Amino acid sequence: MNNQRLVILLLLIAYIFSPTLFTWIVNPEGAWYRPYIMWVLVIAIAYAVQARKKPS
Amino acid sequence: MTFELTHVALLCLAYLLLIFGIATITERGWLPRWITEHPVTYILSLGIFASAWAFYGVIDLAFQFGYGALAYYLGTGALFLFAPVALEPITELARRHQVHSLADLLVFRYHSHGIGALTTLCMLLGILPLMALQIQAIADTMHILTVSRDPAIPAVGTGLTFKDLMALTYCGILALFTILFGSNRERHRGLITAMAFESLLKVFALCAVGLAAVYGVFDGFSGLEQWLERNPENLALLHSPIRDGASHTLLLVFVATAVTMPHIFHMGVAENPILRNTRTVTWAFPLFLLFLALPIFPILWAGFELSVPLPAQYFTLGVPILAESHSLTILAFIGGLSASTGAMVVITLALSTMVMNHWLLPFLRLRRRQDIYSQLLWLRRLVIAALFLGGYLFYWMLDNRQSLFHLALVAFIETLQFLPGIFAIVFWMRGNRRGVIAGLSAGTLVWGIGLLIPMLTGLEEIAVPFGDGSLSVGMSHWSEITLISLGLNTLIFIGVSLLTRQSEDETYSAELCAADELSHPVRQALDVHSAAEFKTRLAKPLGKVTASREVDIALRQLGLAITERRPYALRRLRDQLEANLSGLMGIHVAGEIMDNHLPYKLAEARDTVDINLIENRLSQYRSHLTGMAAELNNLRLYHRKTLQELPMAVCSLGRDKEILMWNRAMSRLTHISAEDVLGSHLDDLAQPWCDLLLNFSEGEDEHLYRHEIALGGRPHWISLHKAAIEGPVTGRRAQQPGFAKEEYDQVILLEDVTETQLLEQELIHSERLASVGRLAAGVAHEIGNPITGIACLCQNLRYESDNPEILETAEQILSQTDRVSRIVQSLVSYSHSGQNKKSAFEAVVLRECAQEAIALLSLQKDKNQVVFDNRIADNAIIAGDLQQMIQVFINLLSNARDASEEEGRVMLESQEDEDNITITVTDEGEGIAPEHIDQILEPFFTTKDPGEGTGLGLAMVYSIVDDHGGSLDVISPANPSTQRGAQIVIKLPRHLNSMLPDNLVRTHTDATDKAD
Repeated sequence: MNNQRLVILLLLIAYIFSPTLFTWIVNPEGAWYRPYIMWVLVIAIAYAVQARKKPS
Repeated sequence: MTFELTHVALLCLAYLLLIFGIATITERGWLPRWITEHPVTYILSLGIFASAWAFYGVIDLAFQFGYGALAYYLGTGALFLFAPVALEPITELARRHQVHSLADLLVFRYHSHGIGALTTLCMLLGILPLMALQIQAIADTMHILTVSRDPAIPAVGTGLTFKDLMALTYCGILALFTILFGSNRERHRGLITAMAFESLLKVFALCAVGLAAVYGVFDGFSGLEQWLERNPENLALLHSPIRDGASHTLLLVFVATAVTMPHIFHMGVAENPILRNTRTVTWAFPLFLLFLALPIFPILWAGFELSVPLPAQYFTLGVPILAESHSLTILAFIGGLSASTGAMVVITLALSTMVMNHWLLPFLRLRRRQDIYSQLLWLRRLVIAALFLGGYLFYWMLDNRQSLFHLALVAFIETLQFLPGIFAIVFWMRGNRRGVIAGLSAGTLVWGIGLLIPMLTGLEEIAVPFGDGSLSVGMSHWSEITLISLGLNTLIFIGVSLLTRQSEDETYSAELCAADELSHPVRQALDVHSAAEFKTRLAKPLGKVTASREVDIALRQLGLAITERRPYALRRLRDQLEANLSGLMGIHVAGEIMDNHLPYKLAEARDTVDINLIENRLSQYRSHLTGMAAELNNLRLYHRKTLQELPMAVCSLGRDKEILMWNRAMSRLTHISAEDVLGSHLDDLAQPWCDLLLNFSEGEDEHLYRHEIALGGRPHWISLHKAAIEGPVTGRRAQQPGFAKEEYDQVILLEDVTETQLLEQELIHSERLASVGRLAAGVAHEIGNPITGIACLCQNLRYESDNPEILETAEQILSQTDRVSRIVQSLVSYSHSGQNKKSAFEAVVLRECAQEAIALLSLQKDKNQVVFDNRIADNAIIAGDLQQMIQVFINLLSNARDASEEEGRVMLESQEDEDNITITVTDEGEGIAPEHIDQILEPFFTTKDPGEGTGLGLAMVYSIVDDHGGSLDVISPANPSTQRGAQIVIKLPRHLNSMLPDNLVRTHTDATDKAD
C-alpha cells in the first residue's frame, strides 16, 4: 500500500536525522540515564497506541 | 574464587536437563495452557535474539562505543515497534505459504532454486562466527570459573587446550539434546516455552548483576552519581565515541537482525508469535530489551571500580566474582550459559532446515519404499551434528584471537546483505532473481575479502591494481566495509533488476508477495478428479504409506472428505499438500513434486479468477483492510448480500461450468445448500438440476419458459433465464485472443412458476366445474317439470281409486318422486357456487348444513356405510353462504367416510367462544401420513386411486373457509392412543345476531325444513 511506502520513507528520514536527535539525547549535560527515559516514553506511547486500537 | 570442575559440569548438565525438560513437559501437555499460550511466553521466546553476545559482548561494545552500544537494542526494538508495518507482511506471507526459513521465503518470492542454495551458503558463512562466539563465551566462562585461581583470560593457546576440550564436551552434549528433541518438526510449543524460560533466566541474571553493581559496589544510585562525578572520564566515555560515524553504522547493522538472523527469523516468523501478538509485541519486546540494556553501564562502571582483571566483555561474570558472591556468580554463569545455549539450539535448527531443503533434498533421492519420515529425521540429525561440529571447528580455528564483539559484527554484517532482497519481497515488485543473486554475491564477496578472510588469516592489506596499490582490510575497517558491501549489494540488485526481465512465474509470486495485493489467484484446472486420486499420484514420489498419510492430514486440516470431487476443494487440497510437504522437505522439493505429479493444466483459462478463494481470503483478512480497500470491501459485501438475499434463485457458472455463486433462494428452491455446491462442477449436481442447468447453460436460448420437472414426486414448473458475464474480472491482464464469445462466465436465474401454473389449472378446472354446475341446474330444472307432473298425477290417482293396491302404488310413486326432487334439489345446491360476496352472507345454522350433507351422502349406497354422529350445537350459527357451507360438509364428510372402515363412525362436534365457532370432523380411519399433511390442502393432491378423487375437495373447503374469514387445521393422528384417525378443525367467525334470538334459530330451522 502507498501508506506503507510513506512509512518506509519516514523511517529513512528518521534514520538520516537521528544523529541530531541522538546528540540531544546523549547530551553530556543531562543525566546518564536520559536515553533510557526516552526509551520508556516510546514504550509508553506504543502501549497507549495499541491499547486504543479496536480489537480486530 | 574458583569452582570445582565437576560442580560446573554438573551445573551445565542440570541446566540442559532443565531446559529440555521444560520443552518435553510442554509437549506432553503437563504445563497449563495459560502459561504456554500466554502472550508473555511468546514475547519472551523472541528473547532468543539476545545471545551470549548480548550477555557478555555488549559490555565490551559499551566500553568501546558508549551510548552507541544501545544501537544494538534500539535497532531491533525499532523494528518490533513498527512490527505491523515492518514485520507483519513477512510473517503473514510465511504463514500463508508455510515458509520456514529465510531461504524458503526468498525462493518463494524469486522463484529460483539457485537463490535457496546461495542463501544457505551465505547464511552458513555468516552464522559460523556467531556460533563460534557462543562456544567461545561458554569456553571462556567455564575456564574463568574453574581453572584460573586468579581469574584471567586464558592465554592464546595452540592446539587443543583443556578449555577447548570443555567446550567440545559441552557442544557434544548440547548437540545430542538438540538432536533428540529438536529434530522433530512437530515440536513447536515445547521449543517456544523452553526459549521463553531461557530468556527469563538471562534477563533475570543480567538485572541481578546490574543491581549488585549499583547497590553492592556503589551503595545505590546516589553513590553511583557521586562516583561518576569523581570519575568524569567515565561519563565522557559514554559520549565521545558516538560522534564518529561508526555508531550510526552500528544502528544500521543491528536494525536488520530481526528478519535476517536465522534464529530470530525461526522464532519470530516461522513460529509465528508475532502474528498472534502483533499488538502486544510492539511495546512488550522493546520493554524486554530495555531490561536487557539497563544494567549494561552500571556493570561496566562496577568493573572499572573493582578493577576486574578481565576484558570488558566478561565484566558480567567478573563483577560478582570480585564482589565474592557465590550465588550471584553462579547465576551470572548460568545466565550466560543459557543465552548461548538457546541461541545455538535455535540457530542449528534453523540452519539445518535450510541445508536440508536447499542443499540436500533437491539432490538426494530418498528411498521411496521406506518410511520417508524416518529418513528425513535421520538426515536432519546428521545435519544438526555436522553444524555443531562446523561451529566448533570454526571456533577452534579462530583460536581465541577475536573478541566477542568482532565475531558478532562479522556475523551481523553478512546477514545484513540479505536486507535488499527481503525489502523487495514486500515493497518492490520489480526486484528479480538475477538482481538478488548478483547483489548478494557482490556484497558477500566484499564481506568475505574485507572481514572473513582477514579474521581467519590475520591479513591486513590486499594488493589492488588501482589507487595506491593496496587496500586496508580487517576488523579495524568494519564500518567502511559494511557500507561498501551493502551499498554495492543494493546498487547491483537495483541495477540488474531494472535491466533484466522477470519470468512469468516470478511476476506471479511477486504479485502474491506485494503488500498491496490481497493476491488474485487464478483458477487453474487440475486434471485430478477426486481426493483419492491424489494418493495414487503422490504414491510415486513419496511411497504409498507416506502419500496416503499426507493426503489424509491435509484433508483433515481442510475439513474435507476423501470422496471430495469439487474442483475448488481439490485445488485447495493441492495447495495444502504443497504447503505441508514444503514444511517437511522444503519449498523447492515440494514444488517439484507437485509440478511433476499433480500439475495444473496450463489451460487457456489462465485468466479465470478463483472467485471462491478471493472471497475466502477477503473474509479472512477483513480486519486488515483499511481506507479505500475497506470501503470497497464493504461495497462488495453489500452487493454480495443483495445477490444472496435476492428473492429469485440465482447461480453463476465459470466458463468451465464450475459453480461460482449459489444464492439463498437457489438453496431453498433446490434444497441444496451453497456450501455443498460452491466450487463444484455442474456435472456433480444432483438431478434433476444437473440436466436442467447443463442443457440450458449449453443451449442457445437465453430463456426457457415453464420447464416441467419432478421434485419430490410432484411436478414443478421452472422458467430459466441466462446472461453472459462478459470480460475478465481482473483488469490486470488483457483477455487472451483465444476466447470465443460463448466462453464467458454465465449467470442463470431460475423462477419457480409452479404456483402460477397450478392456479391457472385450478381456474380452468373451476370453470369446467361451474359449467357442469350450470348444466346440472338446467337438467334439474328440466327434470323437475316432468317430476312435478308425475307427482300431480299420483295425487290425482289417490282420489281416483279406492283400491288399496293402487293407493299403495301411488304412495310409493309419490315417495319416489319426492326422493327424486330432493336429489335434484341437492344437485342444484351442490352446483350452486361462486357467490362469495360477503354482503350476500346470511345466518347459516351449521348443524342443518351438516344434516343436509349427511342426507345427501347417505344416498350413495355404493360407498362405505358409516354412522355420522352430528353433535354440532343448534346455536352454532355463522355468517356465510348456505350452499357453500353445505359443500364444505359434503366434502369433509365424504372424505371422512372414504377414509373410514365399514360401519365406522364419523363425529361432528362444535365448540364456541365469544367470536368464533370451531367445528371438528373426526374419523376413525387410518389417518393422514405425516409427509402428506403439508400437501393435502393443495389442489389436485389426492391419496385416492386414480379416478376416485379429483384432489379438489379439501382445496375447495379451504378456499371456502378462507372466503368466510375462517381457518382450517388438520390433526393426524386424531387419537394419540391408537395412532389412528384424522381430524379437520374449522374455525369460523360467529354470526353477530345469533347470540340471543332462539326464535330466529327456530324460524330458520323451520324455513329449512320447509325448503326440504
